Amino acid sequence: MDYDILIVGGGIAGMESALSMGEMGYKVLLVEKEPSIGGKMVLLSKVFPTLDCASCISTPKMASTAHHSNVDVLVSSKVSEITRNADGSFTVRLHKKPTFVDSDACTGCGECELTCTVALPDEFNFDLTARRVAHIPYPQAVPKKSVIDRQGLSPCSYSCPAGVKAHGYVSLVRSGQYEKAFRLHMEDAPLPGSLSRACYSPCEEQCTRGDYEGTVAIRGIKRFMVDYYYDKHPEPEYGPAEVQQEKKVAIIGSGPSGLTAAYHLGRRGYPVTIFDNMPEAGGMLRHTIPSFRLPKDVLDRDIKNITALGVEIKTNSTINDLGKLKDEGYDAIYIAVGAGMPQMMGIEGEGHLNVLDCLTFLKQAQDEEKPHVGRHVVVVGGGNVAMDVARTARRLGAEYVHIVYRRTVEQMPAHKWEIAEAKAEGVIFHPSVVITRVISTADGGMALECNRTVSQPLSTSRQSSGPYVTDETIAIPVDTAVLAIPAIGNKPNTVPFRNDLAINSNSTIRVNNSSLQTSLPHIFAGGDCATGASTIVEAIGQGKRAAFYIDRYLQGDKLNIAFDERLPMTDKHSVHERERRVTELEPLIDPELDATERVDNFDEIAGTFTEEQARYSANRCLDCGYCSECNECIATCPSDAIRLDQKAEKSVHKVESVIVATGFKLFDPAKKPALRPDHPNVISAMQMERLLSPTRPYNNLLRPGDGRRPDNIAYVMCVGSRDHAAGNPICSRICCVYTAKQAQLIMGALPLADITVYYIDIRAFGKGYDEFYQQASDMGVYFTKGRVAKIDPAADGNLTLHYEDIVHGGIKTANHDLVVLATGLQPEMGVASLFRDENLELDELFYVSETELDYSPGQTSLDGVFVAGTASEPRDIPDSILHAGSASALTAAYLEKRKRNT
Amino acid sequence: MSKERRIGVYVCYCGGNISDYVDVEAVRDALENEDGVVVAKTHMFTCSDASQQLMIDEIGEENLDGIVVASCSPKLHLHTFREMAKRAGLNEYTYSQVNIREQDSWTHRHDVEAATEKAIRLVRGGVAKTKLTAPLKNIRIETKPRVLIVGAGAAGLRASLVLADMGLTVYLLEKEDEPGGWVKKWGKMFPNNKRGDESIAKLVAKIRTSESITLYTNARLIEKSGSLGDFEVKIEVKGETIPLNVGAIIVTTGFKPYELAQDEFGHGLNGVITLPEYKEILFASGEDKLIHNGKPVKSVTFVHCVGSRQRQEDYDKPNLYCSRYCCTASIHSGLTTRGIDPSIHQYHLFRDIRSYGRYELLYEEARNGGSLFLRYDPDSPPIFEQAKNGRVRIQVKDQLTGNEELELETDLVVLATGMVPRENDELNNVLKLPIGLDGFYNEIHPKLRPVETVVDGVFIAGTSQGPKNLAESVSSALASVSKSGGLLMKGYVDLEPFVAIVDADKCTWCGKCEEICPYGAIEKITAEDGSKEIALITKAVCKGGGTCVPVCPEGAIDIEGYTNEQITSLIDAMIKEVV
Repeated sequence: MDYDILIVGGGIAGMESALSMGEMGYKVLLVEKEPSIGGKMVLLSKVFPTLDCASCISTPKMASTAHHSNVDVLVSSKVSEITRNADGSFTVRLHKKPTFVDSDACTGCGECELTCTVALPDEFNFDLTARRVAHIPYPQAVPKKSVIDRQGLSPCSYSCPAGVKAHGYVSLVRSGQYEKAFRLHMEDAPLPGSLSRACYSPCEEQCTRGDYEGTVAIRGIKRFMVDYYYDKHPEPEYGPAEVQQEKKVAIIGSGPSGLTAAYHLGRRGYPVTIFDNMPEAGGMLRHTIPSFRLPKDVLDRDIKNITALGVEIKTNSTINDLGKLKDEGYDAIYIAVGAGMPQMMGIEGEGHLNVLDCLTFLKQAQDEEKPHVGRHVVVVGGGNVAMDVARTARRLGAEYVHIVYRRTVEQMPAHKWEIAEAKAEGVIFHPSVVITRVISTADGGMALECNRTVSQPLSTSRQSSGPYVTDETIAIPVDTAVLAIPAIGNKPNTVPFRNDLAINSNSTIRVNNSSLQTSLPHIFAGGDCATGASTIVEAIGQGKRAAFYIDRYLQGDKLNIAFDERLPMTDKHSVHERERRVTELEPLIDPELDATERVDNFDEIAGTFTEEQARYSANRCLDCGYCSECNECIATCPSDAIRLDQKAEKSVHKVESVIVATGFKLFDPAKKPALRPDHPNVISAMQMERLLSPTRPYNNLLRPGDGRRPDNIAYVMCVGSRDHAAGNPICSRICCVYTAKQAQLIMGALPLADITVYYIDIRAFGKGYDEFYQQASDMGVYFTKGRVAKIDPAADGNLTLHYEDIVHGGIKTANHDLVVLATGLQPEMGVASLFRDENLELDELFYVSETELDYSPGQTSLDGVFVAGTASEPRDIPDSILHAGSASALTAAYLEKRKRNT
Repeated sequence: MSKERRIGVYVCYCGGNISDYVDVEAVRDALENEDGVVVAKTHMFTCSDASQQLMIDEIGEENLDGIVVASCSPKLHLHTFREMAKRAGLNEYTYSQVNIREQDSWTHRHDVEAATEKAIRLVRGGVAKTKLTAPLKNIRIETKPRVLIVGAGAAGLRASLVLADMGLTVYLLEKEDEPGGWVKKWGKMFPNNKRGDESIAKLVAKIRTSESITLYTNARLIEKSGSLGDFEVKIEVKGETIPLNVGAIIVTTGFKPYELAQDEFGHGLNGVITLPEYKEILFASGEDKLIHNGKPVKSVTFVHCVGSRQRQEDYDKPNLYCSRYCCTASIHSGLTTRGIDPSIHQYHLFRDIRSYGRYELLYEEARNGGSLFLRYDPDSPPIFEQAKNGRVRIQVKDQLTGNEELELETDLVVLATGMVPRENDELNNVLKLPIGLDGFYNEIHPKLRPVETVVDGVFIAGTSQGPKNLAESVSSALASVSKSGGLLMKGYVDLEPFVAIVDADKCTWCGKCEEICPYGAIEKITAEDGSKEIALITKAVCKGGGTCVPVCPEGAIDIEGYTNEQITSLIDAMIKEVV
């Protein structure tokens, strides 16, 4: 839409300009970067010199601006650029940040705020208190709409291959909502029990807390919530989907990928049948992962999550004919047969009866009838599976279990904790040894002939920097040898599908990497049989993806859309920046059985956190991306207004003129370390404004350090003003009188408190200001002429000020229990760069220059561009309003002249 | 209204904000059978678009002629529901909002039962009032695209030119022979060193050639009648009376410098002059020498806060205020002096240096250039006497050097006299503008309506309102230009119809209403049939304040939208027992 005028900034100057222009009949577009108009004035307590309540004055202006028939207000929006058209008008490009709330639907009821599980420092209370991620900026916000603060995905959630919202369930556990946490997990992955035991937790590897005392125990938290839920709910709470589809799906393989696909398709109402050639469902989860890591009853309960939907699992059913399945009425097929084909090394003698591949070994170990392994077992390999094999062998009675690995222990791909647990259980490690052949000994036994190696540092690829094999040979006598070498790994058995589908050279099924569709449109394949051997959570992710595209396929929708449009990962650097003062909380280690108690049985070795431990661990979360995607707001919003998939919106408008009303920012007192701005009882004047305001955070005037009532308050004037060292040589104009105001308000709240103002000059120059200053003085506020040089912490959270007493002479010190820094104003940066190809002149302090200050206040160096309020100089509120009126008059004159000339 | 009313009542849950503390359904049940209520419903969020649409549909289907929404404060949503009523084809003034959130649920969180009872009473009151609503129309005033500006100083000149650019006609009045006010007498001015005389000459030249601006010098405003948007005024120009019809009036009558009493700050001594006088000397001086009384000036001492920041204990009628411009003007005059002759010694005797904002840089320049700043305590102000050599000797206690007694001799003492209000008795009589404690014209509100006065359509600007420097004067003048534009550029203004009405039959004209009306909205006229004199309300001037209602002995005055009948029936409904 076209407008007569664009106003950049919705503070008091921007609103005043908008109202003036709107009243004159011009079409106004007001753009505000924050989610509410009102700027900083609405956040103040009362305003000088009339002591009116700031909100009472601001809110009518905010409401009139928002409701004015000639004014369109766009919040959460930034001007990307302004370019000049040939006819002198401007093209404006706007960028509206997603607020993740449909503002038309939102009624501002604040229910989402009550259920949101993540708290952040409240910027509108200048960090004195916390707010929720889903929030209404402040009670008087206009428009009064919720906003969800999302800084990107938290690294844990982002890194999960199954798209499980790790941050979400951690956040729910933190707030004690364990069943909701479980249900949130179920939105993405239906095997939380198995994952809580056997997932290698890429989330924890990415956890930002790992850069501090240690990663958040995300898997331990999950395990707690799963055990809590399964204890309460031995059976799933749901049955088959209410609306059933007609089209049927067959899934081949009941491993994690097949089960997950079945679950998501079942939830969508498809009749699903899983075929598995084994006697029991679960695939690798059941047959490969030792039960001391994943007890089978947990897996059984997990599988109920799928079968409760009506999914049928046909075990002992080998599918060799895909065409037959189609004939039986299955409209789509998902192949998820995994990678269960054992691979041997191809060395001499490996055909020996007692040389096993790891999968066969682990599968046999799951049987009722445990295999006999003898006293000496050698495991070849250094991966997680090798550890599982070695530890299983110990439990099968082997006295000496050796792990033979061609590089060093440090270079083993197995997780550190798996290696440590294996060592604790007595597994003997033989690093830097490569096996060359299997020899039969004279006594009918077996030995492994090995060579020593010299390892080189690992480079990018394990193969390329293979260790140097020496001539030194050793022989290890052995009863059973198990080959568990990840570099060789296991292959999918895709032989039955060779006639129908395109197969890759490594035996995996060729699929479209996005849709997982095979060379036959109705057949999809995923998990290890398409990707090669991978992890459980990857397989689950594939199952979820397959379900998404199979559904689209069956509905006749296009498959070339993205599966999972997630936000990018939040920038860890910004998390570090804001967590500088993070409280140290040591991580808890998952409880587990002692090695001596566990090595002779298949009992689960790890324990579950207590409720207290789980919440403590969850409480260590740094909420990296702010929003945890716990989805509580979605569940609670009475008007269905939450849109976590909302995108930024761009728009282009033609305007005839521009008023820049970008306002000011407050000087950051961190730049004056001598004044101890980091001390909790040294606050900024803006924080004092909030403490005194009607919507004050503590509902009382308390010092933030310890919540005590202050009794002897100091004001330090000219912090960041009249100060070359701070880069701001000019006076900020407002601090003296706002200090006189705050002092009067404090005397009302705390009649017995002493207030001392340390000043250079008291600049009470506006209408009624000097009288107002005198009034503060008459009320008993001490005004001491002298600049404070430094502040030291004193006992009891108090502070010692060092200052020069100008009037009475001498360097003095004074003790106060609360110090308020009267911070000055600085310009908002980035204004000039809005104008492309044109130079909006700034002064040496980066305020917008007024080129005709005396006779045309508000005129800038650019034709048709005006400035209002503190964007061009520090100003108090009345002066800003007058200045905005001036800029509006000049704009109107400009527009009328333009009309007459064209 | 005789016809049976058909009222719709909507009670809002406000998503728990109300329903957590008020049994909303009980309120609805209680209202359902109320006389005149046709529809009584609850909504989770009455303000949501969906709920509004349901109400619009119901207004049509049920043929409703009045709406009550019991929800939040009218400050939030009065406008919303008036618009909703309009969209449904209903007169927006048949809508009433009842506040059961801020004034009920939020206030009585401890007692659901009592809060519910209170809600029922409040809503009943709303229904009773709504039953007596009549469709009202906004008062529309056709505005005249012409502005009268009183005072042709810098502020008045600039306002005239911008109004003319905006396409409005301007009558600019100046009581002196020439336009330009104080500024035309001054040379370089802070902060940009532009010469006042040159700038004014340029502005005046533009004014004289503008077709839309008529400049009257030696002119006075002598009469005003009518109301905002349409004033009839009379001006007297050199003995001739000219009637004008304008939509708005801007007062830019400026200030006068403080006038010193004999001996005050050495006033009367040879070599003691005021800042405006010094500016004239600077103006008259050449580029290389500063001459006073025929002698070159070797030293100047500026004395700040003369006639400003006066203390109750020192003066009968003190000027308590700060004059805002003088610190920077003195410093700038000092810098101009240095530009003429850098060898001149300069002293400033001050209380607080108020070189606010960017003017701090001028203060810094002055100090860095060698000007000495001495801080005096108003308890022991500097003492001035004539030295034998004709110079002025000053004794001052300087707080910056530990209250040391210093003695200076200086060729010139420049008293930075503050700004004081003009005595515009005649104008004040005509315009009836309110005057503040400081003697300057008073705006309605320094932030909400900083250039508007209680007389609608009359704006104040520049130093008539209080001390200001040039840029600030012009800024406020142009702000009043914006407000005038808002009033006049559309061609009309709509005012809410809540004004007093007189029952001509009952009125006997006692004049009590005219006496009490603070807005001058009431005048005496002869009744249509000529039988008697009655009161007439000028709707455009009336603000519906209602002070006239209780003083009328005949009960002849009512406020539209808040009639006596409405208020009494509202009270009756509220005190009816809740069962």
